[in-house]
Amino acid sequence: MKKKISNNMITYGMILLFYVIMQVMISTGSISSLLQGLLVPLCMYAIAAVSLNLVVGFSGELSLGQAGFMCVGAYASAFFTKLTEETLPEGPRFLIAILIGAVVAAIFGFLIGIPVLRLRGDYLAIVTLAFGEIIKNLVSVFHVGVDKSGIHFSVKDAASLNLDEEGRVLIDGPLGITGTPKNANFTIGIILLFLTVFIVLNLVNSRSGRAITAIRDNRIAAESIGLNVTKYKLMAFVISTALAGVAGVLYSHNLSTLNVKFFNYNTSILILVFVVLGGIGNVKGSIIAAILLTALPELLRELQDYRMLIYAILLIGMMLFNWAPSAIAFRERVKDKFKSNKKEAA
Amino acid sequence: MKALEVKNLCISFGGLRAVQGFDLSIEKGALYGLIGPNGAGKTTVFNLLTGVYKPDEGIVKLEGKDITGLKTTAINRAGVARTFQNIRLFKDMSVLDNVKAALTDIYKYSTFAGIFRLPSYFKTEKLMNEKATEILEVFDLDKEKNILASNLPYGKQRKLEIARALATNPKLLLLDEPAAGMNPNETIELMNTIRFVRDHFDITVLLIEHDMKLVSGICEELTVLNFGEVLTKGKTSKVLNEPAVITAYLGE
Repeated sequence: MKKKISNNMITYGMILLFYVIMQVMISTGSISSLLQGLLVPLCMYAIAAVSLNLVVGFSGELSLGQAGFMCVGAYASAFFTKLTEETLPEGPRFLIAILIGAVVAAIFGFLIGIPVLRLRGDYLAIVTLAFGEIIKNLVSVFHVGVDKSGIHFSVKDAASLNLDEEGRVLIDGPLGITGTPKNANFTIGIILLFLTVFIVLNLVNSRSGRAITAIRDNRIAAESIGLNVTKYKLMAFVISTALAGVAGVLYSHNLSTLNVKFFNYNTSILILVFVVLGGIGNVKGSIIAAILLTALPELLRELQDYRMLIYAILLIGMMLFNWAPSAIAFRERVKDKFKSNKKEAA
Repeated sequence: MKALEVKNLCISFGGLRAVQGFDLSIEKGALYGLIGPNGAGKTTVFNLLTGVYKPDEGIVKLEGKDITGLKTTAINRAGVARTFQNIRLFKDMSVLDNVKAALTDIYKYSTFAGIFRLPSYFKTEKLMNEKATEILEVFDLDKEKNILASNLPYGKQRKLEIARALATNPKLLLLDEPAAGMNPNETIELMNTIRFVRDHFDITVLLIEHDMKLVSGICEELTVLNFGEVLTKGKTSKVLNEPAVITAYLGE
């Protein structure tokens, strides 16, 4: 119990430390503008990875559509922001946008989860994979505009919206949403990451979280002690998709142009890589992996053509050194040594 | 009132009639044994009683209430808890959390309160810890409560399974070979624990066992299954001396 709490504190402390270091580096100007531009995406990837870890690590289901849920959150929130750009002040508008992103993504998660999570087996992986691709294609045919007479909708092109002179096109099919105000910044990203970690860790260490991990460990035994399997799996999945929606909000409010190209299969897999590399069921690891692997391609930029080659080799190396049994044993030894030293000191 | 009444329970898997016309009637507070040679259908009966399989025919009544064909979760809520022949613990959770998982629907607070650590979280978690520790003390597991369930020795894992089943507050406890893999000393200790549990928690116990010392030591009545059908039933001492039972176990 105590060990768990201190472990959680390390996770929070790590995020805080990362924030402070980055802020100091920004203020002293010792950080490249490229890396500075990566700070918000870093937070976004970390949030997505932690939220996916809730499904993959704690509920034991495989989801391959995290980017799809980010897409839903990104579009819903950006649409809201564009719609109310002139009527609402910036602060509350962004707050509501975050909530809308989370809620809309959660609704999609709920609708997908209800039929799929009743089944036994890896059906969630198949369905979320399909969802990610479908939602991407679906969103790219939407044309939505607004004028005095209200909201216009078309699946053909922007011209067929029949807007009057003052009308604005909000979503322009494959071109996406342009001109979203850049409300997201590094501080907000870190706050949202903090909140995500807080929600996931506290959920896992609560009554519902115990039920979720119990179902993961042994479904039949969990049923035999009266746990409602579908309910708790759905709970983990919906919370995860809501948090993925929040990651999407960060993305859409960090770039002035939002289109669906980013939310493809590769992004979903990349997020899964963060989770697997950081350790399944290890929140701290997910964050570290997300930050390192997002920053790495930029740091390797000087190697030019060999960049992705080195990146792949580093990935394999990290996987080996992180999860080889002897590497784990070595870490345990170091930990024990550290502990006994501390005891002697006390 | 009978604790458990089963009438004409049948199930077939393909062409195999695993259980045929199974009847059972257990008095409240009894310690009842279900024995039979390997493959007789004992565990299948347990799976039928707990809703893992749906019976083709027959009625199961728990304290007069019909629970036939309900789902496992609903049957547990109605008051039937069980252990498994091949141990099924939540192996990556601590011993304490294994028991607390079984308390999920007894001590409640909302998920929201759990995430945002509202006062009801701390209050209920404290009650849960006390209750879980109390149950673990019965099985002498309270000292190991913080270690992972998979790190427990075999005999203690069996005990933890019983503790977890008891935490759901059952009226009827089904034990599937509780003494399997235990040495004679552990078996005697287990016998005393089962008796204590029956008296202390005021429940009815139905157990499957191959260890005849345990069966004759604590079971008041027995039903013998052979080839999916009831061979005989009655008082333990009488049943164990019946020629038909001895033949079923040892052959002609």
